[in-house]
Amino acid sequence: MKRKNERAIIRVVIATGISSVVTQLLIIREFLAQFQSNEFVIALILFNWLIIGGAGTLLAHWVTKRFWHATINRLGWLSLILASLPAVQILAIRQLRDLFFIHGSSVGFYSTFAYTFFTIAPYCLLLGFVLPYSLFVIRIENPDYSGTLIYIIDNLGDVSGGALFSFVLVFLVTPLKATFFANLPLLLATYLLFPSSSRHRPLVFLGTGLTFAILVFSIIMEPSSLKPSEGKLVYYSESRYGRIEVHQNQEQFTLFVGGLPLFGSQNISMAEETIHYPLSQISKVQNILLISAQGGMMAELEKYRPDSIDYVELDPKVADIQFRFGLIKRIPGLKVIHQDGRSYLAGSHKIYDAIIINLGEPDTFQINRFFTDRFFSMARRHLAGNGVLSFAMKGFDNYLAEPQRQKLSSLYNTVTDYFDHVLLLPGQKTFFLCSSQPLSTDIPALLVKKGIHTRYIKGYYYGNLTQERIARLNRLIDPETPKNRDDSPQLMRLMFIQWFAKFASSPTGFIAVFTVLFLIYLVRITAEEFVLFSTGFTVMGSEILVIFAFQIFFGYIYTQIGLIVTVFLAGLLPGAWFGERLHRRSKQTLALADGLMIAMMGLLILAMQHGSLLPVAFFLVFGFVVSLICGFQFPVALYLRGGDAPAVTRTFSADLIGAACGTLVTSVVLIPYCGIIWAAAGLIGFKFCSLIVVVTRHEKN
Amino acid sequence: MKKISRRHFLYCSAGLLCYTVPAYAFRPFSEKISAATGPVDIRGLVFKKDAPKKLWKWSHEGFLYTKLGNKTVMCGICPNRCMLSPGDRSVCRSKVNMNGTLYSLTYGNPCSVNVDPIEKKPLFHFKPQSKAFSIATTGCNFRCLNCQNWEISQSKPHEVRHYELFPADVIKTAQRAECESIAYTYSEAVTFFEYMIDTARIARDNGISNLWISNGYINRKPLLELCRVLDGANVNIKSFSDDIYRKLNGGRLQPVLNTFKTLHEQGIHFEMTNLVVPGYVDNADMVKQMCQWILENLGPDYPLHFLRFFPKYKLDRLPATPISILIRFRKLAMDEGIRYVYVGNVSFPEGNNTYCHNCKKLLIERFGYSIPTYNLDENRCKYCQTIIPGRWA
Repeated sequence: MKRKNERAIIRVVIATGISSVVTQLLIIREFLAQFQSNEFVIALILFNWLIIGGAGTLLAHWVTKRFWHATINRLGWLSLILASLPAVQILAIRQLRDLFFIHGSSVGFYSTFAYTFFTIAPYCLLLGFVLPYSLFVIRIENPDYSGTLIYIIDNLGDVSGGALFSFVLVFLVTPLKATFFANLPLLLATYLLFPSSSRHRPLVFLGTGLTFAILVFSIIMEPSSLKPSEGKLVYYSESRYGRIEVHQNQEQFTLFVGGLPLFGSQNISMAEETIHYPLSQISKVQNILLISAQGGMMAELEKYRPDSIDYVELDPKVADIQFRFGLIKRIPGLKVIHQDGRSYLAGSHKIYDAIIINLGEPDTFQINRFFTDRFFSMARRHLAGNGVLSFAMKGFDNYLAEPQRQKLSSLYNTVTDYFDHVLLLPGQKTFFLCSSQPLSTDIPALLVKKGIHTRYIKGYYYGNLTQERIARLNRLIDPETPKNRDDSPQLMRLMFIQWFAKFASSPTGFIAVFTVLFLIYLVRITAEEFVLFSTGFTVMGSEILVIFAFQIFFGYIYTQIGLIVTVFLAGLLPGAWFGERLHRRSKQTLALADGLMIAMMGLLILAMQHGSLLPVAFFLVFGFVVSLICGFQFPVALYLRGGDAPAVTRTFSADLIGAACGTLVTSVVLIPYCGIIWAAAGLIGFKFCSLIVVVTRHEKN
Repeated sequence: MKKISRRHFLYCSAGLLCYTVPAYAFRPFSEKISAATGPVDIRGLVFKKDAPKKLWKWSHEGFLYTKLGNKTVMCGICPNRCMLSPGDRSVCRSKVNMNGTLYSLTYGNPCSVNVDPIEKKPLFHFKPQSKAFSIATTGCNFRCLNCQNWEISQSKPHEVRHYELFPADVIKTAQRAECESIAYTYSEAVTFFEYMIDTARIARDNGISNLWISNGYINRKPLLELCRVLDGANVNIKSFSDDIYRKLNGGRLQPVLNTFKTLHEQGIHFEMTNLVVPGYVDNADMVKQMCQWILENLGPDYPLHFLRFFPKYKLDRLPATPISILIRFRKLAMDEGIRYVYVGNVSFPEGNNTYCHNCKKLLIERFGYSIPTYNLDENRCKYCQTIIPGRWA
């Protein structure tokens, strides 16, 4: 009987792990579709998730001791709630957004922080609570049951959940269907958790059925939860890269990616500007490379009758949809390549007359790679002698604000290392034209000479892009602004500043509160907890660093990045198993692991400098070893801490809170402000503090 | 097999019925109305104790304000009527109370100076193809979520780079640039009223026209003063709903309507623009009401421009306005009786051209900012000699 209950609880823990990781990934994607899709928001969501989870874990001991003794029935009820919450939560995130914010408007940092915090709080608090609670329930009948085992079992669920979502669900189903499939095992495991005598009780039957009904109804409600207020939703899909929607309003189709209107079928003026500004400068246009495309561009391109157009689009679904809804048309010589633009260029030997980059703002690590020194150097090598590289940043109407000026200056200073002539044109966007040949500002005259007819440029260019405006913009460039490099993404930092400026806010308040809480927490935890805290911090920090570096060296390859995330979880399991079985679990072992972690981070710094020479396997092995060390430290620290109930909750939470802080600090402070090498050095420094704490700590007995 | 009891059966049946409950919980998804969501009012607030320590070179005592005692002052320029204690800054960010005196901090320090085609304002019935010397300082009494000039309209004077152009210098620079008019534009000219009116007075003396491009959120008294030197205006009617004004713009509708009436009464030529924001302003009934109000209160002669919305500033998660909606609204307004209705921010020849309201013949063909065809004899239709409203010469 005893073993039977234990097995049932283990099943619930594994199922909870599966459900929680799938839910976490779905929630991140949901927030990215509802709010700004930048690294700041991703870090904020993960931070909130882990912090609230850590708080839930801390609460478990206190609540169980004072009010709510651990019982198998209560665990069952908690698990049922846990299984039903993800669906409710996703629908709530969609519905409540328009209750708190004005429909169609974007939201600033503090509002995003508050919204993400409160909408995920119930689930994360419960999730953090359930894991130690499960242990307490097992310990009713088996008081010697190890906390590490629960940690291992939970990790097993986490790894399975991560793999299930990244390699199966994301390709096949919508978010609420994924929630349904990811929570079915938990629902079943929970039902079987109830003692067989109570399984047929109406209340249990009702509870299980109600949870199942919520999961099913949420799938039924999914289409209407996505329904736009303006027009109708004519296409919806979740690709591995994010949400894709096409809205039809009257005769106009608009492609929304990640909740933002990306391209419309009626924006001819933008298509004209994007195509004709660079191509008008070239005497004979033969080969063109488009990195992403937007509505109407192909029709404008066709006017030059080029021999070949290579259109590189990372997400196959985005290209397909654009063709299907007539946003772009198939023209002779067009070849669609579904690959990361940067990795395509790295592997291609083709020479182009023009490379036109049509990507969004560089507010993510992924997009930033297309505006760095190495990318511009690579683009230059792929251009013919009189070839033109063209890209654009968000425009301004009548005044170039300081953050935007800095951003344009950084780009200008970066690209001028590779091109003799760089011209900025203040169109609807700010266009950069880069070439080794002189460039003309009189685009309409060039087009007349070529016999190319346009509507917007012909009618509006001279009024909107006066010589005075063009000259003023080019004069405003600040030559002192640092360049945007692969290993030091200045542009991302400037994008963050611009984001704050747009909402007239500043991160200072958040940083101050965060620092105070961080210090209070550090003062209150024990040496072992600090080790786990710093390990969680370093592991999450290094995971972000590895994903960032990997994209620089190999491009954005979905499956391989999914693998990296998985190996960063997979090492925890054997690490914890090994740590649990180790006979001599002492502070020296802990220190040795810390030393190893520092050595691994040092290795990462070396690898960053020669990244392109390394095989992909290096990053996978690195992730596995780092997480192995992390997993290994957990049982050792828990053993040293005593392994009783308060120790378990505090060590679990130290790991989670450390991971939360590591995510936030690395993504939004260390990488954008210090660059990747110094970010890794910072992580080493933090881990070194942990090593000193371990070495100088006095044994209690 | 164990038999099920009656009570057990009833419990389970009730439970099954309860499974439909979640469907009810998700009912709000069934319909969405943009205007009915989110905060109801985004009006700006006075910035308490935000005034600079001392005045700067571009400070000028406020034109119209009331001293209320305790050194508190009330600005009388716009309907916000900011009550400022010493050290406070107005909603528009441009005015401060310094020890009981109201000062404008935007006198002679425009942050944006350009020479624009007059059609860009847009003004289609005012000296076609002339150039407007356009200036703006920082500040706005609204908080429009879709502001295209938010970098200056939502900034304080000291936060931007600026030029030094006192009123007399503005005239000289405009003359050098061969501009026939000066447009007070981009941000919100009401907030730099003192600078605008002094410049406008000198401009009038020098034969340069004054154009006011505004949200129309101004009190009657300063507006009457302005009308004495004003030649033309383009006033934005953001929507014909006070709720939407409060939600998207942080203002109120009635004062704007009052502005139109005053301009009409004072015989100022003005044109109206209406930005058609999808989900908010693209309501045909509302447009119809707006047209009826215009006809009843202003008559059929003032040109109306329906502008295409593009995602901007904070309102960047909406699609652009479909062109057919603009075309439909143009037809609707003309059917209601407004004689000159245009579509803007989009190239649609029929909606950009001017046709005689009497003989329906093409008077002005516009291709972007250029005019290939011009069929007016001074202010009359070349074909039927009907007077076409506007300032043509």
